[in-house]
Amino acid sequence: MQVHHYDVVIVGAGGAGMRAAIESGQRARTAVLTKLYPTRSHTGAAQGGMCAALANVEEDNWEWHTFDTVKGGDYLVDQDAAEVMAKEAIDAVLDLEKMGLPFNRTPEGKIDQRRFGGHTRDHGKSAVRRSCYAADRTGHMILQTLYQQCVKHGVEFYNEFYVLDIIMTEVDGVKRPAGVVSYELATGEIHVFQAKSIVFATGGVGKVFKTTSNAHTLTGDGMAVTYNRGIPLEDMEFFQFHPTGLAGLGILLSEAARGEGGILRNSEGERFMERYAPTIKDLAPRDIVARSMANEVREGRGAGPNKDYVLLDLTHLEPAHIDAKLPDITEFARTYLGVEPYTEPVPVFPTAHYAMGGIPTNINAEVLADTDNVIPGLYAAGECACVSVHGSNRLGTNSLLDINVFGKRAGIAAAEYAKTADVVELPENPETDVVELLEKMRTSDGTERIGAIRKDLQEIMDSNVQVFRTDESLREALNEIAKLRERYNNVGIQDRGKRYNLDLLEAVELGFLLELAEVISVAAIHRKESRGGHFREDFPDRDDENFMHHTMTYLDPEAETDGIKGMRLETKPVIVTRYQPMERKY
Amino acid sequence: MSTTSIPAPRTGYSRHKSTRSKFEMFAWLFMRISGVVLVILIFGHLFVNLWVGDGVQAIDFGFVAGKWASPFWQIWDLLMLWLAMLHGTNGLRTIIMDYSEKPSTRMALQVILYIAAVIVIVLGTLVIFTFDPCPAGADPSVLAEFCKA
Amino acid sequence: MSTDTTPAEPASKIDLPDHVAGDAGSIPSFDCTFRIARFDPEQDSEPHWEEYNVTMYGTDRVLDALHKIKWEIDGSLSFRRSCAHGVCGSDAMRINGRNRLACKTLLKDLDTSKPIIVEAIKGLPLEKDMIVDMEPFFQSYREIMPFLITSGHEPTRERLQSAEQRQAFDDTTKCILCAACTSSCPVFWTDGQYFGPAAIVNAHRFIFDSRDEGGDMRLEVLNDKEGVWRCRTTFNCTEACPRGIEVTKAIAEVKQAILQRAF
Repeated sequence: MQVHHYDVVIVGAGGAGMRAAIESGQRARTAVLTKLYPTRSHTGAAQGGMCAALANVEEDNWEWHTFDTVKGGDYLVDQDAAEVMAKEAIDAVLDLEKMGLPFNRTPEGKIDQRRFGGHTRDHGKSAVRRSCYAADRTGHMILQTLYQQCVKHGVEFYNEFYVLDIIMTEVDGVKRPAGVVSYELATGEIHVFQAKSIVFATGGVGKVFKTTSNAHTLTGDGMAVTYNRGIPLEDMEFFQFHPTGLAGLGILLSEAARGEGGILRNSEGERFMERYAPTIKDLAPRDIVARSMANEVREGRGAGPNKDYVLLDLTHLEPAHIDAKLPDITEFARTYLGVEPYTEPVPVFPTAHYAMGGIPTNINAEVLADTDNVIPGLYAAGECACVSVHGSNRLGTNSLLDINVFGKRAGIAAAEYAKTADVVELPENPETDVVELLEKMRTSDGTERIGAIRKDLQEIMDSNVQVFRTDESLREALNEIAKLRERYNNVGIQDRGKRYNLDLLEAVELGFLLELAEVISVAAIHRKESRGGHFREDFPDRDDENFMHHTMTYLDPEAETDGIKGMRLETKPVIVTRYQPMERKY
Repeated sequence: MSTTSIPAPRTGYSRHKSTRSKFEMFAWLFMRISGVVLVILIFGHLFVNLWVGDGVQAIDFGFVAGKWASPFWQIWDLLMLWLAMLHGTNGLRTIIMDYSEKPSTRMALQVILYIAAVIVIVLGTLVIFTFDPCPAGADPSVLAEFCKA
Repeated sequence: MSTDTTPAEPASKIDLPDHVAGDAGSIPSFDCTFRIARFDPEQDSEPHWEEYNVTMYGTDRVLDALHKIKWEIDGSLSFRRSCAHGVCGSDAMRINGRNRLACKTLLKDLDTSKPIIVEAIKGLPLEKDMIVDMEPFFQSYREIMPFLITSGHEPTRERLQSAEQRQAFDDTTKCILCAACTSSCPVFWTDGQYFGPAAIVNAHRFIFDSRDEGGDMRLEVLNDKEGVWRCRTTFNCTEACPRGIEVTKAIAEVKQAILQRAF
């Protein structure tokens, strides 16, 4: 085992992690631990753009952006956070431009902007051009640009280091982190990183679902690691299903396709969004579009041999326009489905895309120990965090904004904290739990296979916890997950080696997935209303009286609520500043 | 696999120190320019030797001697010799660089190459400049016309 | 690339051809054999070949087959992968002798009557199965200073750039650093000293960016012994690039830029 000492340790090198590293690296001794090479992070898969009220092409202001974010999140958004994000969005975009990001340009040479789902002018009057973009690879360009800046500033990366535990101690009765325990993929060695501040930026948990736009590596590691050490998870029931995943594959086709004029049709050729969102139609927020699509399929108007998808129609657009604005996603349709988007509509269906919930933080990216208190020295940003700027449904492009605004805030806050804070002493043998877990896995004679359990989990989640949920389906999912956890205790791996043992890590990741799937299902059972990305068929309406609050889920072996053991659920009030909840219509 | 000796991340890999020389650029440029010039020189050479007048039948000692009596052809052939040799040598140098994996092999091959090139260039140049078109005591039937004068 | 092209409102309802709206037939399945170069650093001194038979479907990619082998046959098969749709650059490997991304290579585009040969990319130190040490690759990348270099005060708003100026380096911004190009370059295979196509592509991205002022420094680096002049224009890189970047052309443009600067 090796012990390393730093002022700041950042876990994860996607957009949020690297944005934090750029700030922190210039202020304090910083290490970035990442289970991939930084440029492999899933920020790179984001396509459409990053919204900011630059008003480069038409009138706009950040207050409208705040409103759209709040309304898009079905009023479960903490409005102070949304204000911060919308206000700082402008600088976030300009920062990126100054770092060299090659945005598309207007004829005057300014950053070009385009329409995006749920983004409107003057509180919902009509769609507005707010999304700054670099063709349909904005996320790719952000990831590359941030990595370039990290190279420039000499940020210290530990590539292919898996963080498997956070070391929490108590100092004078206050919970504080002392460091993290990580596993080096190349050698199988354990490294303990002691740090004054720790930033989690580990991304999402899309792999609990079968149809997902998420990478294979998005297994919710950071969420699970902190959850296991008593830190709550907020609003985990809210999972966003992106309307346009390639049917059957889940590969994302950006909302930009609809922003640029693409429309959805059912098997009868009908533009069905006219019925569900008469004003902004295909550019309604993702939860509404995804639900409408699923509903079309459910009512027998799906296309294809199994009538299980709808169609994204770009055929009325000029091929030159498609090539200029949407080159990558049309390439996906050609490569993976063999469909030529110039002449044929593309089969699409909702795909699990984004966890609105995560590690609870305040607007300074400080992690909350409970509803009222922060954990000094612990920060989180990006998809693994819940600020909450996305409420119950994230608007398109706001994730790229989230990582830049709150990644930056986390980096600055972590470095500033490290300047004044003392080092927290490491407890004795902080690595024991991880070493025991890994040794048990590595030497287990179990007969269950990782792939089989994961496949079953993903299928259960897809059929029970997806766009439409009921008490029955969620309890069914919980039962099945409990059985899978039994099977998981008997899991065996075949790679017994030390070097690059990905088999071992997949087994560990599967444990995280099972845990988080359970948290998602339990939180979903408790929210007996429909709001944003969480739709309960048995409670189809929003219920502000009883559920206008965030869910906080704690790991607690003693607790029992509604017949479910091992978890304690608490609530946290939603911060409302200017916008009182209204009915959400588009 | 021992668990103690692992290199720290970002252990450097050794690239040759920067030489800050423009040699490679000039070498690259030389190959293009000499290539074009050589095409003219070689085709000019072939045209005069094999095509004009009696063509290939006319070539004999006298013909060559006749050409080298003129400074024009001396310089033509000298250029051809130098450019072809340097072009070829540089080409072989890049092949050696691209295909030899061990530094020692690379060094040995390059030494042989350069020695060979120098020998050919020096000998060739010497021949062009020290050539006697009318050697004493030679069979007059093979000599050029002007030797009889 | 004007932004003012608001397309006319499309029709509310159209007639769809039958093959789009309804039955498109089922997806064919087939058996195929994979010949995979396996290397376990803790047991082997040399890579060896192993064969696996799997049943796959028409829409599957090589990555799906590797997953199937790993998850159902041999869990010790090791390869990097993440996004699984060609944007993260983790899974560059040599498939039937050509560098490609496993997640972008559809089985139906390969000859499945013969074994499909999969091995690690060449020229970088082999670590295990399909995993190579990427550090030399990223070192070259870092050496060309892959970040915007500017002088003077930062403007308050964005720097202006015309659509044409933006277009000049558009192609090379697509690079995902997968190393398919560099590890297909015969010059790189020799001794790994050559900067390689990927580093040059990323230098190109900044050299031709109208906002950047560090072009001279980068050209200086690439004018060196191991720089662009080692390119033999074999076009392996262009052919290997999963993002369709015209790599060899980009290298030629950098060569031209160096010459223009010198004369």
